[in-house]
Amino acid sequence: MIDNNKIIGTLEKILTAYGGDVKIQNVGTVIKNTDGVITASGLSRAIMGEKVIFEDGNAGTVLNLDEESVSIILLGETSSVKEGDTLKTTGKMLSIEVSEELLGRVIDPLGNPQDNKPKIKKGKNMPLEKIAAGVVDREPVSTPLKTGIKAIDSMIPIGRGQRELIIGDRQTGKTAIAIDSIINQKFNKKPVVCVYVAIGQKKSTIAQVIDRLNSEGAGSYTIVVSASASDSAALQYLAPYSGCAIAEYFLDKGRDVLIVYDDLTKHAWAYRQISLVLKRPAGREAYPGDIFYLHSKLLERSVKLNKENGGGSITALPIIETQANDISAYIPTNVISITDGQIYLQTDLFNAGIRPAINVGQSVSRVGGAAQTQTIKSVSNKLRLELAQYNSVAAFAQFGSEVDPATQKQLDRGRRLTEILKQPQYFPLTENLEVLSIYAVTSGLMDDIPVDSFHRFEKDLHSFAKKNYPKVLETLSAGDRPTEQALKQISKLIDEFKKRFQ
Amino acid sequence: MSMNKKKIDELIGASYRYLDQKKVEKIASLLSIKDLKKYINGLKLGEKENTLIISSSSPLNNQDLKKIIKLFPYKKIILEKDPSLMLGMRIVDNDIVYDFTLKNSLHRILSFVEQNYD
Repeated sequence: MIDNNKIIGTLEKILTAYGGDVKIQNVGTVIKNTDGVITASGLSRAIMGEKVIFEDGNAGTVLNLDEESVSIILLGETSSVKEGDTLKTTGKMLSIEVSEELLGRVIDPLGNPQDNKPKIKKGKNMPLEKIAAGVVDREPVSTPLKTGIKAIDSMIPIGRGQRELIIGDRQTGKTAIAIDSIINQKFNKKPVVCVYVAIGQKKSTIAQVIDRLNSEGAGSYTIVVSASASDSAALQYLAPYSGCAIAEYFLDKGRDVLIVYDDLTKHAWAYRQISLVLKRPAGREAYPGDIFYLHSKLLERSVKLNKENGGGSITALPIIETQANDISAYIPTNVISITDGQIYLQTDLFNAGIRPAINVGQSVSRVGGAAQTQTIKSVSNKLRLELAQYNSVAAFAQFGSEVDPATQKQLDRGRRLTEILKQPQYFPLTENLEVLSIYAVTSGLMDDIPVDSFHRFEKDLHSFAKKNYPKVLETLSAGDRPTEQALKQISKLIDEFKKRFQ
Repeated sequence: MSMNKKKIDELIGASYRYLDQKKVEKIASLLSIKDLKKYINGLKLGEKENTLIISSSSPLNNQDLKKIIKLFPYKKIILEKDPSLMLGMRIVDNDIVYDFTLKNSLHRILSFVEQNYD
């Protein structure tokens, strides 16, 4: 039976907190509705970014303050607002309700559930626009964020709090890297909270990503913010800020967060569309002048906080889609200059079967090296050097000319290294297995294994090591530089496995 | 030749201070369609700025009205009756609405409860 006194008591408590009878409202009238961008008269006290409410209940946010009018982007149904409708300011900036309940949910940029699951209970109000943490509140990136992808963790390491751009043409595996990184977080004792922001993508693609995350067991610690291609430009524009506001909620609790912006090219398109309708002056490629600020203020919110501020972090993986490998276009160069490094994916490599199709020469991580563990550092230095040597001599090999034995050795080693760095999608590896694979090649222990059976060899080697040498793998998980004795044990492990491998 | 915004603003200002209906009509006949639209819009906005609408559920007494006139000395005051307000009054001054009604209080309590009680 419902306890009436309890309900009345709660209501009384709420009413005690309620105050103020006089309401001063700032109202306005819609002059025109241009594809979801509203021009309204009045609203003389409106402020930039303020939330406004229309008479039909629709909400909008102020984006332009002119002498006689105010421009607002509509957040709901665009066709329902007509000329002459009234609207009022709310005195509140655009925000999103965030709580732990969001984990495992799919929401739109305003926090409305999109997954047919129960209504999300109200949580903390997090502002969409927020000034990034200052220098004093931060500390250098020092903890690795493992992606489980050998090529990235060894050569382009990402640290917690870093902003690492994933850039490449369409169909080169950009989203796959981001999804693998999310899936890999399940191996952490305390999983990193992941936020996947889908901007301007097909709903079917978003559904596939969600399905994959759930089937891989990553759904429970992931929040998907979805603004699909069929949503309004306003929602697509707001989506990354919503995702970031959600990430900041967990950051405030001292948690580590990984946020993927998939992708910022479409975000720039959405903002260009809004800006053109707002009649803001168009600049290069018709983008407005503040497109750089748009992305820099977003990515600057990625942070590694110091202990006094909770020690949490937000690691950002923004994605940019290039046209015909042109990384010198406007948006790619902007975002490259904002981020702390980039993972450059190439169609040629993808078509040649090198997956992930990472162009090692043009990919870089500017701060991640400091976050790399000594274990992986011990094998990655040699790997990077040998790959660089291989790339410098590989061009000669194309002519079929005879090369000296030393060069031939470099070529052979390079081919093997390239092969070992190949990794199927949705199979992220733990660090100890990554080290084991890379060490097996760089130490020359796999020189007598045919390249075409590398994948099978590696898979079986991992199973063998897990079953027969768990202590060796444990040593490699400690994060310390492997001792001579440990290296000997690894060599022994590989030699023993080779005898069994057919 | 179309007039610039400054000149239209000057005309609108003058229409309130020195001109009568005849002169306004004369100005209107001399303006191009585009400028006339701007002029009419300007007049509408000016009219809105100079008008104060007071809505209440029951007629205001003289004392209250005098107080309001004192608060808004240069405004044209329009009194409206709106029984849906229940009690109190609502004053609309251009784009600012001062709501002192029971209807507003009840609305505010309702939205407060909705926001704080799932």
